[in-house]
Amino acid sequence: MIDTQKLKSIPASYSRLGWTLLILGVLLTVISFVINPKHASFGLIMTLTFVATVGIGALFWVGIEYVSSAVWSTPMRRPFEFISGVIPFLIILAVPLLFNMTTIFEWTHRALFKDDPALLVKAPYLNIPFFIVRTIVVFLVWWLFYYLIIRNSRTQDSTRDQGLTTKNIKLSAGFIPVFGITLTIFSIDWLMSLTPDWYSTIFGVYLFTGAAVASMAFATIVIVKLNEKNLFPVKITPDHYYNLGTFLFAFSNFWAYIGFSQFMLQWYGNLRDETVWYIPRIHGSWAVVSITLVFMQFVIPFFFLITKPAKMDPRRLVFISIWLLAAHALDIYWMVMPVYNPDHAVFALSEVAFMILSVGILLSVFSFKAKGNNMVPIGDPKLQRGLEFHI
Amino acid sequence: MSERLYGITALFDSPEKVLAAAKAATKEGYKDFDSYTPYPIHGLDNAMKLKRTYIGIVTLIIGMTGVISLVTFTWWANSVDFPMVTGGKPFFAWPSYVPLMFEMGVLFGAVSTVIALLAIWLGLPRNSHPLHDSEFIKKISDDRFGICIEAKDPKFDQKRTESFLRTLGAEKVEPAYYEVQSFTLKQLVLDPKFIISIIVVAAVSSGTVYWGLNKMLLIRPWSSLNDQEKVLPETRSEFYPDGFAMRPPVEGTVARSQMPYEFTENDLVSAEKYLKNPLLPTPHVMQLGQRDFNTYCSPCHGYFADGDSRLQGQFPNPPSLHTDSLLIAPDGLYYGVITNGFQGIMPSYARQIPRDERWAIVWYLRALQKSEHPEASVAK
Amino acid sequence: MIDYTKAPPLVEGNPTLTHLDDDIAKPMEHRPSAKYFIALAITLAMLTFGIIAVGYTFYYGIGMWGNNIPVGWAFAITNFVFWIGIGHAGTLISAILFLFRQRWRTAIARTAEAMTIFAVMCAGLFPVLHLGRPWFMAFIIPIPNQHGLWINFNSPLVWDVFAVSTYFTVSLMFWYIGLIPDLATMRDRTTNKIKKTIYSILSLGWRFSNRHWQHYEKVYVILAGLATPLVFSVHSIVSFDFAVSILPGWHTTIFPPYFVAGAIFSGFGMVLTVLIIVRKVFNLEYIITKDHLDRMAKVTLLVSMMVAYAYLLEPFIAWYSGDPVDWYLVIQRATGHYALGFWIMTTCNVFVPQLLWFKKIRRCVPVLFVISLLINVGMWLERYIIIVTSLVRDFTPAAWHLYSPTWVDFGILTGSFGLFFTLVLLFSRTLPVISMSEVKGVTESAHPAHQAGVSHE
Repeated sequence: MIDTQKLKSIPASYSRLGWTLLILGVLLTVISFVINPKHASFGLIMTLTFVATVGIGALFWVGIEYVSSAVWSTPMRRPFEFISGVIPFLIILAVPLLFNMTTIFEWTHRALFKDDPALLVKAPYLNIPFFIVRTIVVFLVWWLFYYLIIRNSRTQDSTRDQGLTTKNIKLSAGFIPVFGITLTIFSIDWLMSLTPDWYSTIFGVYLFTGAAVASMAFATIVIVKLNEKNLFPVKITPDHYYNLGTFLFAFSNFWAYIGFSQFMLQWYGNLRDETVWYIPRIHGSWAVVSITLVFMQFVIPFFFLITKPAKMDPRRLVFISIWLLAAHALDIYWMVMPVYNPDHAVFALSEVAFMILSVGILLSVFSFKAKGNNMVPIGDPKLQRGLEFHI
Repeated sequence: MSERLYGITALFDSPEKVLAAAKAATKEGYKDFDSYTPYPIHGLDNAMKLKRTYIGIVTLIIGMTGVISLVTFTWWANSVDFPMVTGGKPFFAWPSYVPLMFEMGVLFGAVSTVIALLAIWLGLPRNSHPLHDSEFIKKISDDRFGICIEAKDPKFDQKRTESFLRTLGAEKVEPAYYEVQSFTLKQLVLDPKFIISIIVVAAVSSGTVYWGLNKMLLIRPWSSLNDQEKVLPETRSEFYPDGFAMRPPVEGTVARSQMPYEFTENDLVSAEKYLKNPLLPTPHVMQLGQRDFNTYCSPCHGYFADGDSRLQGQFPNPPSLHTDSLLIAPDGLYYGVITNGFQGIMPSYARQIPRDERWAIVWYLRALQKSEHPEASVAK
Repeated sequence: MIDYTKAPPLVEGNPTLTHLDDDIAKPMEHRPSAKYFIALAITLAMLTFGIIAVGYTFYYGIGMWGNNIPVGWAFAITNFVFWIGIGHAGTLISAILFLFRQRWRTAIARTAEAMTIFAVMCAGLFPVLHLGRPWFMAFIIPIPNQHGLWINFNSPLVWDVFAVSTYFTVSLMFWYIGLIPDLATMRDRTTNKIKKTIYSILSLGWRFSNRHWQHYEKVYVILAGLATPLVFSVHSIVSFDFAVSILPGWHTTIFPPYFVAGAIFSGFGMVLTVLIIVRKVFNLEYIITKDHLDRMAKVTLLVSMMVAYAYLLEPFIAWYSGDPVDWYLVIQRATGHYALGFWIMTTCNVFVPQLLWFKKIRRCVPVLFVISLLINVGMWLERYIIIVTSLVRDFTPAAWHLYSPTWVDFGILTGSFGLFFTLVLLFSRTLPVISMSEVKGVTESAHPAHQAGVSHE
């Protein structure tokens, strides 16, 4: 059943591509910092958000599998675990930003506050020391859960101890609510506070939906590609693909629902504190970006994935997953860049660096983690049931 | 009586057996056969080599129709037919329509799919199928599984098919026949019970609708807006002796924003003494005064207030307004005369000329007087 | 110690299919016990009290309620949101769990769906009752009229009408489609002529043909796929009733998912209450097993944490926004006139469900029953607190005024519970409370094994 030869092998081409993109991405980011530090900082925020959401999203999916005792995803769980391996490296991406906060965040300029009582109220939360503490704590908490859950999963490969599954279920049950709160804090700090006047209680949920789609999309690409090239140690059937496709479909719809709710409620109430975020995004070239985003992340995937055969077809799944990753990048770009330039959409070296560096980090970390580790959780008691799964 | 054969049924006691039987029947070349199971069995669709069902297309197409119909209708109703601003929202407030679009899409999609399933795909309701109410089906709906190969299949041969089914390990193999129609359609329609029930249903439903629309909607509370307990204009009243429902205002009622004239009709002395012109001789006031003077006063007094008017000879001629006493008379006198008339000869112009305009006329008159007697002492 | 290599059995004891049929059909085929009649008498009494209260309302007007200016909305809308919320758990169990292939839902789906329909019926009464002139309720439908007017498409109340009627229609159809095979089984079992006629008509001549099953299953998936976003949309639209306004405490973007999570939470509370009673009274404990209760309790815990997330986030963002009115509302809710209700609500919705972390409690039926009741109380209070506290203290202090309900308000609330439970009781004796065909399909030997000795999922 399990091809032990393929267990620990990941093609060198993946690794090479990953490292190439990573080095190129770092180079371009450094150059963009030299050219325009402010623009580059915004670009780095985008990179941080993209990598963090895909990474923590992947860990979320691992946790959900444990908590719901799902079996269909067990044969494919390892790729998700490898993807979440970016979590320990997030702090590296954040450091250049933490040293650069006055360029990025309006609220760091205290002098502006004295006329705005609302900003004054926020000062106990929006101040540099507390911000840094929160960033470190969030990344530490994420790393802690990552370390414990993944370690149990790896150990189980050799010990086949069912108690580790029970442990991971308990850890995941604790992780899910903590994930919700920490991702919300991340979204408020790095994204919402870019427009310090603005607030929206649903924003954490909005980022969550994007994270869920993007992490599922990246995992789908990796799993399907490896499986189709016959490099996966077990046979993943179209029935497994169907579930991946269903989640992509469901969560891209969920993204649209949350995004629309936020927009409609703030449009309807028409209060200055809330519309201040949307005004730049519905005029000029940003309006084009907004409409493109809706089509990219909702309309096209909806019709593309609605039929059952589409959800089971490997080629279509890879295509739509790449599409959805690009849509997530556009989503982050749409959330961040209108703060940098409210008048029109910008596309410069920083954006290119963002895209290349993000994919480079994800791919290189994935291949790095996959080397020397089993691609399938061979010790997991649910593995056999998962392999026999069909719809 | 020879009944028409529908097919041969075979009963099995486990899902494995019926799956194997279906596979075997398909392999044998039978096409017009069906499996019967109390719940859908995995793998049976493939065993019978059934093609995938396309009923989802109905949902998608009719659902999208619902979405598009709704957004078209709301656009038309709110932007074309009766454009109305509610809550400060634009006429085509598309964010408001999105929830409605979604609901209509789901409603249209779901209802159409269910109706299509039942009516088209399944051909239900149908209680006349040969297997309906048979012992075979009674066992199927309980705990058995079955196959039925229909007689109309080209490969069907009663003896061969029967023995083929027995080789599959069936518990029981027996033929099924079409029910003999013991009545014709004509007999069914002319059946007295049927006719009476049709008449009753027709009577009850039309009676209800008639009563609802012609009687119920005209009684309270639906008619509350029709016969309100208030007095309608120009109606008879039983309460008042003179029969008028509309009553004149009580003696001494003052209309809104109307100040009563303080002095008695002929008391021009008080008018002179107490009424002062509140307006200033701005160009606007002068033009107003000129316009009003030419309109109201000139027919009798002439354009230059000297009595040389168009109505000379047909009306008692007013005196010239340029006499010495009138030149020095205060503004209040003129105001009083415009308001009350003069000694029964000149009527009151209070109803035609608002108060401000009367004062404007006075200014104009003063201007006329000044123009003819520049050096004479004109009361200010 | 759990053995994860084996799928947990969904029906205990490996009963025969006939045995399942007999047990599930028993309430429909035998005379009810005295206990049933006592229960029915209680619910009918509650319903009668409600009808009297409604009569007073229709005759004398809304003045019989505690509503005032500024609290124009109180019990009626609270009850409306409460009942719609209860309906959502039913759809979640039957549709969403179906899409996630959680086969343990089969034992509880039928009752849950029936509860959805009854809850939506109860909910639908309130928008009519709270109108000052309920005989004009048809004005909400966009039909051409003498005034040439159309309805206000910008109003979430109109969206509610579309949403709730769609939800009711789709839920009813979904429930009925699921019932057809069972009605056919009842048709084939019964010997009573009248019952047979009724079942024959209602089952439409279903004959368990596999060609039919193929299309039937697809339509079931489609309806489940439509019902799932419908659940999200209906309660989101209900939340829009409040969130589109600019009142502090109401105008917050988290409302749609927060209300949906809350609806599922309160619905699961009610489903647990009803099922614990049903499984005991009808001796169906081997089909609605402790495993089922355990899993439902886990889902309840999950959604309670989503509700708790919103409870944490709203005050934080109210503070973060710097808007003094928003922040005052947070303080007012916790320490003002309705603070007792607020803290009972928080206890019931956040602290009590934390007990469900413990397996012993999840599997202890009496404790689970009490927890489910407390959840219902807490969730009813949540809607009450949200609505009333934002209305009693809005922007202009001169307009501030407290609210207290009247006996008529309580009467209508009681009546709605009476209606709901009467319908549940009647349902339990006229239709199978568990889907016979589905539960047969999840027994151990239901499907041919792919390999020897391996169970199927």
